[in-house]
Amino acid sequence: MSETLAPENEVATVAVMNQLPGRDVRAESPLYHAEMDKLAARNPRAGGVLLRELKLLGHLTLRGSQDNQSFMSGCEAVLGVALPTQPLTSVEKGSVSVRWISPDEWLVVLPGDQAFEVERGLRAAIEGHYSVVNVSGGQTILELSGPNAIDVLKKSTALDVHPSQFPVGKVAGSVFAKSTALVRRSSEDTWELVIRRSFADYLWLWLQDASREYGLVIKS
Amino acid sequence: MSQKNRLQSGGRIDRSKALTFTYNGRQYKGYKGDSVASALLANGVDIVGRSFKYSRPRGIVAAGAEEPNAVLQVGATEATQVPNVRATQQELFDGLVCSATNGWPSAESDMMAAFGKVGGKMMPPGFYYKTFMFPQSMWETYEKFIRKAAGLGRAPLVNDPDEYDNMNQHCDVLVVGGGAAGLMAALTAARSGARVIIADEQDEFGGHLLSSRERIGGKPAADWAAEIVDELAKMPDVMMLPRSTVNGYHDHNFLTIHERRTDHIADKAPEGQIRQRMHRVRAHWVVLATGAHERPLVFGNNDVPGCMVAGAVSTYINRYGVVPGNKLVLMTTNDTAYQTALDWADTGREVVAVVDTRANPQGERIEAVRKRGIKVVTGSAVIDVQGKKRVSGVSVGSIDAKGEKVTGKVQHLSCDTVASSGGWSPVVHLSCHTGSRPVWNDEIIGFVPGATVQKQLTAGGINGTYALDKVLAEGVKAGKEAASRLGLTAADTQLPNVRTVREGTPMALFHIPHTKPTSRAPKQFVDYQNDVTAAGIELATREGFESIEHVKRYTAMGFGTDQGKLGNINGMAITAKVLGKTIPDTGTTVFRPNYTPISFGAIVGRNCNELFDPKRYSAMHKWHLENGAKFEDVGQWKRPWYFPKAGETMQQALDRECTATRESVGILDASTLGKIDIQGKDAREFLGRVYTNAWAKLAVGKCRYGLMCKEDGMVFDDGVTSCLGENHFVMTTTTGGAAGVLEWLELYHQTEWPELEVYFTSVTDHWATMTISGPNSRKLLSELCDDIDLDKDSFKFMDWREGTVAGVPARVFRISFTGELSYEINVQANYGMHVWEKLFEHGAKYNLTPYGTETMHILRAEKGFIIAGQDTDGSVTPIDLGMSWCVSNNKPFSYIGKRGMVREDCVRKDRKQLVGLKPKDPKAVLPEGAQAVDDPNQPIPMKMLGHVTSSYWSANLGRSIALGVIKGGHDRMGESVYYPLADGRVIEAEICSPIFLDPKGERQNV
Repeated sequence: MSETLAPENEVATVAVMNQLPGRDVRAESPLYHAEMDKLAARNPRAGGVLLRELKLLGHLTLRGSQDNQSFMSGCEAVLGVALPTQPLTSVEKGSVSVRWISPDEWLVVLPGDQAFEVERGLRAAIEGHYSVVNVSGGQTILELSGPNAIDVLKKSTALDVHPSQFPVGKVAGSVFAKSTALVRRSSEDTWELVIRRSFADYLWLWLQDASREYGLVIKS
Repeated sequence: MSQKNRLQSGGRIDRSKALTFTYNGRQYKGYKGDSVASALLANGVDIVGRSFKYSRPRGIVAAGAEEPNAVLQVGATEATQVPNVRATQQELFDGLVCSATNGWPSAESDMMAAFGKVGGKMMPPGFYYKTFMFPQSMWETYEKFIRKAAGLGRAPLVNDPDEYDNMNQHCDVLVVGGGAAGLMAALTAARSGARVIIADEQDEFGGHLLSSRERIGGKPAADWAAEIVDELAKMPDVMMLPRSTVNGYHDHNFLTIHERRTDHIADKAPEGQIRQRMHRVRAHWVVLATGAHERPLVFGNNDVPGCMVAGAVSTYINRYGVVPGNKLVLMTTNDTAYQTALDWADTGREVVAVVDTRANPQGERIEAVRKRGIKVVTGSAVIDVQGKKRVSGVSVGSIDAKGEKVTGKVQHLSCDTVASSGGWSPVVHLSCHTGSRPVWNDEIIGFVPGATVQKQLTAGGINGTYALDKVLAEGVKAGKEAASRLGLTAADTQLPNVRTVREGTPMALFHIPHTKPTSRAPKQFVDYQNDVTAAGIELATREGFESIEHVKRYTAMGFGTDQGKLGNINGMAITAKVLGKTIPDTGTTVFRPNYTPISFGAIVGRNCNELFDPKRYSAMHKWHLENGAKFEDVGQWKRPWYFPKAGETMQQALDRECTATRESVGILDASTLGKIDIQGKDAREFLGRVYTNAWAKLAVGKCRYGLMCKEDGMVFDDGVTSCLGENHFVMTTTTGGAAGVLEWLELYHQTEWPELEVYFTSVTDHWATMTISGPNSRKLLSELCDDIDLDKDSFKFMDWREGTVAGVPARVFRISFTGELSYEINVQANYGMHVWEKLFEHGAKYNLTPYGTETMHILRAEKGFIIAGQDTDGSVTPIDLGMSWCVSNNKPFSYIGKRGMVREDCVRKDRKQLVGLKPKDPKAVLPEGAQAVDDPNQPIPMKMLGHVTSSYWSANLGRSIALGVIKGGHDRMGESVYYPLADGRVIEAEICSPIFLDPKGERQNV
């Protein structure tokens, strides 16, 4: 069930592993304990801030040089979309999104069960120096929406979230409360925060607190 | 008590909404729209406090942020106590409870008054330095007494129930001040398309216009302001912040605004609302339209209640419908203040006289006053005031043209209110916060903002521009300039029609002369809040304190909650006069944030209680909670410390956990250890450069322990790194060192060795890590894993294998921190809990025992394994640790720390070296940190040899053990050292090998 990718007649240079168990094994996302489905069921109908966890997705950290043609074209071929090279931007196609993180780093988010296949595909398609790391277990995405989502962001981060400075599709990593988040505006009033697993509970508390004056609605 | 000073009509108060409030235990009535100060004045309350040093009764003198006396304690309950609230800035609400801050036991009849009058003579400037410094041991006693008597307000004794928060804001233009200039600047900038924030400390925008009787564009000024406010409020990119004081102007146009959102509604914020909010603003441009504060004049007994600033009197009449007295004497150096006489006369109360310090004043307002039949005494001044708890009369004398001496006979006038105006001081505070020094302007007789490096513009009163038409024009100009500097097309705002008032020249006069010399004259107060007098400033300069900063610190001028807003310029002018210098040569003291006092709550925001600091949790945290773990903070992580069973002490729990692990199997949640994925063809070479040991030959499938040093050769982190593939490694770090190590690797990669092809990615949170340790760990693992050959000869110590554990793909590392047979199981964190629970399902028959960090520490200490950060402190080399086996000097490239380790100081024989320590009394556990000496009977200070770094009771060994550093310890095996303790005991310990158990390592190799 697991394998080390070793091109014919070559020493295995990198250990690649399908890390997903069978469907019978219970998965616990970083906010599993918050029982957000139950909260969603007994929610108030209205509120200024809507929150849901986009959980158990596949997260791959890509590192490589934009000067490496094989890397750029290989990524585009496998992901179905070119890596964004414009700083602080993202691209999205179907169920795959790619966030620019630095000139040589991107975060690919895709359905959880595709992470292994895509990693293998990338490794088969790319030559030269690069890295692909599966970080799916280490982070999750919180989606904030609603008319007051922007106010919650203003309480949490020093980023300028005004539409003129933070248009749809923009991505920026920054301090978020006393943790960090990779913030992306996915639509006019929808924001995605990529956060680290170990900080998820803190940020969950923080966001509940920051949303309280506007009314918080949990979505499943 | 009735509101005897309230007018029947007029003002911006709502007489249909009566409010009840309590001051000093008595109930009073006021109206919606009142400030606490205006309501107190309406009710004829004269005394609002006792002075700091002399305990003199004090009344309200001003109407805004500059008020020095009416500084109240507000709060109906213990939890809602707020000290140092300026009554002039606190809006009245129904049920408000306040009391005078000063005055012990009450402001009306002060026990300190007698002392104060005698004590006044005993309390010259420099009083603290001269009197209370010796003997030093008595200072605490003095301080308690002085603080109680001085009354600086008090903090609540219980938790504040309200919530405060912070919000980050960005804008193109931040306009500070919502008066005529600020409104025009904001409107012009906003119409040009700029993102604008306009903040004003008052509840309504309009500033001075709210208490003015001028007309703008044919309308009352306040109505005109309301129209501008309406237009601004409709613009989507304009944020309007009333009740918001811009308190700090920091570098790079970062400003902090203190917004009071509910302080005007009730004692406690309504449910679900934030009481106060700190806005942290980045502004491309700042327009300061902060206006000016009127200066009172300095004359004898000018602190008797009833002495007020002229403009404040007008504000109380025009804005609040309150006349703060019956018979007014107005003293002025300028035309503007004549308006106060007109306003007073219009209420039907008596203006006894206007006393003008100028010999021949000419101007429209003077003519208007004369036309009303009000007596104008020219070339004269009020030299002192009579009355104790309220003004009863004044002495008026003619003065010379320079205002330096009294020249003629002194006449007495009977009155109960003295309004004075010495001109206006621009509010330059914010412009000075960033280091800009203000500049004296002779024409306006005041300091104006000096050159600044900030993107800052100014408009209106802050520039010394006071005529309304010019103020409006400056506002438009600043708005246009900000817009065009931003690259916008500046909108052209039409200036409304305003009638220009013809005014005469004001006189530069601050300190009114008396018939007696200043030192003998009745006290002439400069700084009310700190009881600083003109005589005190003269004394300070006579004693040699000539720099204005020294005068400030010697006299206390400009200290306190008002920071000398009212008195500082007068004080500087007096200092200049005494020294024979000009005011610009004398200069100002430094203005610093905050402009007005701010509650700690607003600074802290939501970063308190549960949100004070992030708590990081592993994927198995819920299990730990449910199984009674006690937690230890490791960095921000909450790690299980130990798992006590019912009735167990901590030591009993540790003994049980330690024994169970060595006898059968224990389990540790090791998820918090830092994990860094390293890929690239030069990964191996990179490891060789950052670790002290060799990595060239580590084969795929193998693990190795490594030590990391800083350049100085001192150990800073350690951990096991495993070779996953020829170009692929996973490094582990200490829990607390994870972020620092990743930064360290990136630093060296990016700055020193960018040519190495290697990438680092943190996978700390991605993997859940559980270590099963003990002789039965193989049996346990074999029940859950059938795709790894666990045979001791095929899966050896320091190997890793990929397989499936409890149905979940896993990497299993056979490494050990306990010295026992151990397997570290890593699975994707989303499945950590599943695997953890399965281990317990199968582990029951082996008495699988969860243990925490404390048992981990004990077990590793039994084996002499170090903990970086506990047994090392940044001053310990690998050699000092006795770990030369972990240093390779045969690497082709150097490694970090190699040079440092061979420095002369690092090869000394008498360096502190890590050794084991066995107390002679096996029951005695050395305290960590205890210092070793050779002779416990030597005199203090003793010659210290090193300290205990780790110390435990070892249940497995049935004795106490410790690790510690000892000078030259490696060569002192078997010798005794002594640990004299603070409680008088001395523990003797034998220096020994740090490996107390299984020195050959047989237990982990089974």
